[in-house]
Amino acid sequence: MKKILILLMGTALSLQACHKASNTTSTEDYTVLEGEVLNDFVQKIALPQYNDLQLKATAFNAAIVQLNANPTDANLTAARQGWRDVRQGWEQCEGFLFGPVEDDNYDPQMDTWPVDNVQLDSLMSSSNPLGIIDIQNLSTLSLRGFHPIEYILWGVHGNSTAASITAREKQYMVSLSADIVNNTTNLNNSWLASGSNFQNDVLNAGKGSTRFKSRQEAFLAIAGAMIDICGEVGDSKMGEPFAAYDSTITESRFSHNSITDFRNNIIGAQNVYLGTYGGASGKSISALVAAKNISLDNQIKAQFTAAINSFNNISTTFEQGIYSQRTQVQNAITALSTLSQTLDAQLLPFIKQYIKD
Amino acid sequence: MCLLVVCCTQCRKAGNAVLSNDDAYDARLSGGAATTFDISSLSFSSPIPGLSGWDLHVHELGDKIFEQSFVAAPAPIYGGLGPVFNNVSCVSCHHNDGAGIPTAGLVNSSLLIRLSLPGSDLHGGPLPIPGYGGQLQDVALFGTQPEAKVNITYTEEPFTFPDGETLSLRKPTYTLTNPYTPLPAGYLTSPRMAPPVFGLGLLELIPEATIRSFADPYDADKDGISGKANYVYNPYTQKTELGRFGLKANTASLLVQVTAAMQQDMGITSYVFPQKSVYGQAQWSSVKDTKGTDLPDSLVNAVKFYVQSLAVPARRDVTDPVVKHGEALFAQIQCASCHKPTMYTDVNVTLPALSHQRIHPYTDMLVHDMGAGLADNRPDYLADGTEWRTSPLWGIGLFQKTNGTPYYLHDGRARNLKEAIIWHGGEAANSITQFTKLPRADREAIITFLQSL
Repeated sequence: MKKILILLMGTALSLQACHKASNTTSTEDYTVLEGEVLNDFVQKIALPQYNDLQLKATAFNAAIVQLNANPTDANLTAARQGWRDVRQGWEQCEGFLFGPVEDDNYDPQMDTWPVDNVQLDSLMSSSNPLGIIDIQNLSTLSLRGFHPIEYILWGVHGNSTAASITAREKQYMVSLSADIVNNTTNLNNSWLASGSNFQNDVLNAGKGSTRFKSRQEAFLAIAGAMIDICGEVGDSKMGEPFAAYDSTITESRFSHNSITDFRNNIIGAQNVYLGTYGGASGKSISALVAAKNISLDNQIKAQFTAAINSFNNISTTFEQGIYSQRTQVQNAITALSTLSQTLDAQLLPFIKQYIKD
Repeated sequence: MCLLVVCCTQCRKAGNAVLSNDDAYDARLSGGAATTFDISSLSFSSPIPGLSGWDLHVHELGDKIFEQSFVAAPAPIYGGLGPVFNNVSCVSCHHNDGAGIPTAGLVNSSLLIRLSLPGSDLHGGPLPIPGYGGQLQDVALFGTQPEAKVNITYTEEPFTFPDGETLSLRKPTYTLTNPYTPLPAGYLTSPRMAPPVFGLGLLELIPEATIRSFADPYDADKDGISGKANYVYNPYTQKTELGRFGLKANTASLLVQVTAAMQQDMGITSYVFPQKSVYGQAQWSSVKDTKGTDLPDSLVNAVKFYVQSLAVPARRDVTDPVVKHGEALFAQIQCASCHKPTMYTDVNVTLPALSHQRIHPYTDMLVHDMGAGLADNRPDYLADGTEWRTSPLWGIGLFQKTNGTPYYLHDGRARNLKEAIIWHGGEAANSITQFTKLPRADREAIITFLQSL
């Protein structure tokens, strides 16, 4: 999936050509800043978020185990909250979807959509064992990850109760959530120095990294991932159900978590741009832009805020909103489109112009 | 960059331009106007420049379907998977629109096995195996048995260059296990790893006369390199046509390539292939929804348009002296005799970026004897058991970006470009001998050149 803004390319070039560089920073300082930004992206964004994702997955698995052992509606509520929490972690990590998460297919392993009801039903009505190994041996990823669990935890009409979820369904969810723990653990390890050490490829961009021959390449990968997620939320996740007037093709339709999913995706991209996460902050792409073009930085920051706030204007679920609040949904899609156009048409050329090492 | 592309193509003189006059052109433009300057992990995923708003919309629709996981029918959306298949979406095998991973039967696998009996069918193609057809589907919906499983083992074989440099080549062995019904004696197999899908609109537009002009089936010029065009049956037009796509050039058009992959690899039916891959087999009884086709015609056409309109990544480091040296050596030892660097596409009035472009695909679109080491010993129309189509090399330097771990050759056995080169035999044997005798720095220069593609 790639966000496409060809029609704007001409505009981008002319804007680029007209804008005056306000070289307030010396080349040396700027190069130092680039290194700090990459370092802080790794230390303050990527590593803590993947670590938190793993912790949230572990907590979610514990909640499902608890529901399985003691199927009360209170435990069902707790399990649903656990699902929303790990979902938040995952959707925010989608703000920088490059590297191992992409190379090793973690996205399809955890977030395949739609739910395959036919196969799920035949699995549930079979006597096929449901241990984690059995789950991992299933032939299609649509039977693994967040959405089959969502389907069971909420039910098609959101009316599941602790009593209505069968023993096999609970066992299935125990293994599915353990599978998510496995995946998030492996994903976290793939960035750690003690694991596959992908952080090293980012930190040493242009200094021997096999993945990024220059820092510019690394920054383009980071910015490209931001653009992709903004485009995907606006054009696909929101745009397609909206255009089709079809609430059955929304992302998290059983839990009605779709708007939260969307917001977290954009917050994830914003975290990357601002270099902030979990109360900590570091040197950011924002600082790199501000040093050369303060108005562009202000514009991007304002458009991030506008896009994230636009979700708040939808006062019902996304599944309802595509029918009853079309203006508000359209405004959110437009805000996302404005943001991704700015990133594509101005941030990418900025990186190509100023990040030369 | 885009403006530059447009200028270059507009300034070029049409007609019989002199191919050797390379200095007049920007060497980065591998796909002519259909070139993208993206060098990220999505470098194979850019649309060709200059698409109209509507065409861009269709491209994005096709992109969506290319990425979509299909599910078992009946389903409100994206139903029709299986009942036996190789994977659940196009992108599961064609990772980031590029090559994939040489495993079979896993959720991220990109390798499949073609099957046949000795002999040929009514149209000169491979003879399908009753109960199996022409391709092994090694995955199945829950409750259905796959046709068989594929077991891949490798043995490492050392290779030593004359100057002492060593290399380990891994030689694969493919065995089929747990067949759902006995396989007949003497069946033939051919492993195929998913190839990249960008630039295909350009390859479809290379004039037949150009491809035929490269052919030398009887090696009349006695250079040891023959090369012949494959002529294959097109089930949509119901005619025998020049084969262009597939690792043995056994498919004539992009439409058939895309729809055959949908039907054979996923079980998704279309107006070109309206029957399930298991039609006539025992698993047919488990197909619940047999009315109509799984994918509407408009979406089938959108997927075809998507791959037709994926741009070619630009070359990098084209002025680097090592790259230029490697490029000269590549031609000197006759790699370029088959991996043809330069040709022109035909006219396409609706897609100017593809139309009459000077392109650098590094293929002659012909099939060549690649020697016993690479042979699958399974004929596919005119391509015999040792022959493979010259793989385009454009974008090959970006495989690590798009795939994480890169794999090369038809079945992904080569883990780096040097291994891939050494595996070449048959018509390439002389070139490979020359390659091994080059000073080590020169060999590395050729690799550096390939990495710039």
